[in-house]
Amino acid sequence: MARVELKSLNKIYGSGSHSVHAVQDLDLDIADGEFVALLGPSGCGKTSTLRMIVGLESVSSGEILFDGVSVTHREPQGRNVAMAFETYALYPNFTVEENLAFPLEVRGLDAATRRRKSREIAEILQITDILGATPPELSGGQQQRVSLGRALIRDPSVFILDEVMSHLDAHLKFQMMFDLKRLHRELGRTIVYVTHDQVEALALADRVAVMSDARMQQVGDRNTLYNRPTNVFVADFIGEPPTNFFKAEVRIGKDRPVLVVPDSDIRLTPGPAMAQAVMESGRSAVIAGIRPQSLHLSQSQGALQARVAINEYLGERSMLTVTNGSARFQCLAPPEVRAGVGETVQLDYSPDSIMVFDPESEALMG
Amino acid sequence: MTMGETSSRHASTARPKDAWRYVRILFIAFLVLWLAFTLFPLYFMTITAFKTAAETNLTTPTFWPQDWQPANFLGVFAERTNFNALIDSFIIATCNTALALFLGSLAGYAFARFPRQAGGENLAFWILSNRMFPPVAILVPMFFLFDITPWGTDSHISLILLYLVFNLPLATWLMMVFFRDAPVELEEAAYLDGWTPLRAFVKVTLPLVLPGMISVAMLCWIFAWNEYLFANLFVGTAVRTYTIVIPTFTHGSQTLWNLQMAFSLIAMIPPVVLFILLRRYMVRGLSLGVVKG
Amino acid sequence: MARLEVERICKGWEFPVIDELSFTVEEGEFFVIVGASGIGKTTLLRLISGLETPDAGRVVVGGRDLTGIPPYRRSIAMTFESYALYPHLTVYENMASPLRARRLPVRERDRRILATAKLLRIDHLLERRPGEISGGQKQRTALGRTLVADPEVFLLDEPISHLDAKIRHELRTQFHTLEDLRKVATVYVTHDYAEALSLGDRIGVMGAGGKLVQIGAPRDLFERPQTLAVAEHLGQPTINVIPARIIDDDGPCLQSEEGTLRLPVTDFARPLLEKLQGRQVILGLRPQYLRPGHDDTRGLTLRADIDIYEPLGTLGIMLVRCEGVRMTAVTDPEMTYHSGETVTLTLDLDQLFYFDAVTEKNLAVGD
Repeated sequence: MARVELKSLNKIYGSGSHSVHAVQDLDLDIADGEFVALLGPSGCGKTSTLRMIVGLESVSSGEILFDGVSVTHREPQGRNVAMAFETYALYPNFTVEENLAFPLEVRGLDAATRRRKSREIAEILQITDILGATPPELSGGQQQRVSLGRALIRDPSVFILDEVMSHLDAHLKFQMMFDLKRLHRELGRTIVYVTHDQVEALALADRVAVMSDARMQQVGDRNTLYNRPTNVFVADFIGEPPTNFFKAEVRIGKDRPVLVVPDSDIRLTPGPAMAQAVMESGRSAVIAGIRPQSLHLSQSQGALQARVAINEYLGERSMLTVTNGSARFQCLAPPEVRAGVGETVQLDYSPDSIMVFDPESEALMG
Repeated sequence: MTMGETSSRHASTARPKDAWRYVRILFIAFLVLWLAFTLFPLYFMTITAFKTAAETNLTTPTFWPQDWQPANFLGVFAERTNFNALIDSFIIATCNTALALFLGSLAGYAFARFPRQAGGENLAFWILSNRMFPPVAILVPMFFLFDITPWGTDSHISLILLYLVFNLPLATWLMMVFFRDAPVELEEAAYLDGWTPLRAFVKVTLPLVLPGMISVAMLCWIFAWNEYLFANLFVGTAVRTYTIVIPTFTHGSQTLWNLQMAFSLIAMIPPVVLFILLRRYMVRGLSLGVVKG
Repeated sequence: MARLEVERICKGWEFPVIDELSFTVEEGEFFVIVGASGIGKTTLLRLISGLETPDAGRVVVGGRDLTGIPPYRRSIAMTFESYALYPHLTVYENMASPLRARRLPVRERDRRILATAKLLRIDHLLERRPGEISGGQKQRTALGRTLVADPEVFLLDEPISHLDAKIRHELRTQFHTLEDLRKVATVYVTHDYAEALSLGDRIGVMGAGGKLVQIGAPRDLFERPQTLAVAEHLGQPTINVIPARIIDDDGPCLQSEEGTLRLPVTDFARPLLEKLQGRQVILGLRPQYLRPGHDDTRGLTLRADIDIYEPLGTLGIMLVRCEGVRMTAVTDPEMTYHSGETVTLTLDLDQLFYFDAVTEKNLAVGD
């Protein structure tokens, strides 16, 4: 078990004018037994970060501490970190049991202990029935479990999972998410989960660290990232479907500001806290954001009207792509809604769900 | 490599660093020796080409010509047919390579895409069987076989066809490997774009295997260019390859080493030039597997 | 422009993959085939395109039987799951390939490629090679190559399933608006039911054994699944399946096989259950219709013990035991519950599906 601290971590590839700053001044504090997801689009530096934690990549500057002890320059073998990969990386000519036991064999454990330990792990992962099979005979989900098992069996202090679910289809993924959470609860191990899929990250992790452009953008739990994203990037990246953004002009109403979206009839009134921040900023133009989940269809006259451009029926819900003037945005509706293309719908929202960002720094106001 | 970086930084004490330095020095010394060993024949060939005939026959060999004779390089062409021999070799090597590549690509494609229909299991045996017997074993039978053909043995065609015995299996095998690496889906996508199988092959598959094909061409060409055993028996009057000309540089019972070496050096120019021109493609040929979409 | 008819098509190797499968796609229709991975969806597309020869049955486009016609003489365009872009050609040349094959004049070719590239927002990438662009851009290029071809039938094989959620979302919206796609017969293959529901004018659910188990409009499929398999495939979390028996307890009611859950027979269900072959029935209940809270107007209120509660992104998933019956319920992800806690759940009786325990057919849907 271990607490993992990254202190102003930097990774620079190459040198001079051809250098690439892959990770820039990264700080992250992962508590002992915590499940943290490292989330970001491809090329954001999350893989470099992970490789530095494991020790496969040297650190350009900064420090990595495990339980307060620096492991910055320690070899991977000396860190007691286990890793499971996107590609399962199983030995195809070994049985599942041999695959599981392999890391122990490398450590020179005797056959009886290896056997006992691999049975234990198989029990936890519910793969006891396939111990005699070889990887090519297994389904993708089973292979992934074996791969996890092989990482777990070493009893690592930090457990790193790299995009482990990107090859699984929806139903399997769902099952796997459940298994992983159960596993984490039962083992209480520190887990760092690296992914580009925000659904996975939010679903699994206690806290999600969002990276972009080599920098840490925000670290927080689901509700924080969802309701108070620090900037436009996070607001856009987190949430499915993505947040609707509007470039808006600030008009001062009676006592609170109104955000007017040009070339449309959209007038947004933010909640009191956000309103005050807008007033204090003195900006005449801002970026307003509202999540599709926060726009509700209303039977009576709503806060804004829009025409339906696309009505996507998704079974449990429907997603409407609607337009108002030149603005185009999306909202979620109950599946019963049968509004056809071209129909006008009334929409309502809670003022608190309006997010306002600075047009230059793109940071959340307030 | 990044691992190495970490470890060298981690190694704060001076001792292991010094040990590494000795290993490096030993390694470099070994490389130098090895290089000298391999380059020496070439060096000796070159200086011999510049010596006088008398100097080549000294009982104590000289390692630097006492009397430079660049005229040797013109001397080898005193007999005009010697130049024609280079041209004959060139024609034979080039035509043979073209034929081997053409047939080898078609066969390789068939083996790669339709292994069952093409009897792919037996292919390996066919290739190996060509290496199982010494070439000299088929020398005489082949001679009689070609002798009854309308063009006889002493012709370009006879050697062009004969060398296929060696080059075609090689070309087929290597091309098969390259075609296997080129994704079938790309061809299928081309069919759906409206290309007929032949045009899809030319437009899509061939460009993908082209680097590999060039490497194969080099191998075939060099074999045919340098072949001596069969050429010596088959041709000699109407057609002469350069390899059978080399032993003819004699004066009475004396071997004119200087002219032999000068002619050999000239004969090395075409393959070297070819290699330099095509090197870029050959390197890509080796990393063909990366081409995937 | 033409309609596509697939008639009793069969294909198998060691065992049958496609078995007497038939469907028709009208001109201008977007037909989605949904099914688990490895069930034969790609084989079906390959049969239609002519890359594979059917063992029996035929493919008809615009009234013309395509049997024996090679793929390059069919007016069918297809995208591959792996994109299958030509790595040695630029984006422009990739898109030009079908037009070159047809020997279209250069000017017309340029015009079409540019228009399509603009539409797909890859017009700034035309000079790049596939190795130099992102996954989403590759997918757009592959799509562009099929769009410019202007074929009679479009076949799309899992075009967006390997992309990031955000790009997937964006491209899905684009499929709705691409006029070119919407005016010809399109067959779209996916394993993602949400994609299928969103995009399909009609959907065919492919089951094991190489048949389409049900063909219908998205709403039909989701709200009136013909078989238990269809109900299980569509929807996430997977539908709750509760085997039950009809017993008489002051009038008929449903008693779960496992545990002691007892549900009343609604007016809607009464005539259905009379059609039943035995006394056994399988109840299907989507987790969405089992929610925390007390709501007498919507259905039955139950007490349940929470086994596991996980907030998974946009949904909170609750595995509960309700009178000894294991079920999944969904909540708002912002709610917090703990394992072992007891909650009140409302079960919406009107949303129950009734399947015959023997045939697994939905009793409410006629054949």
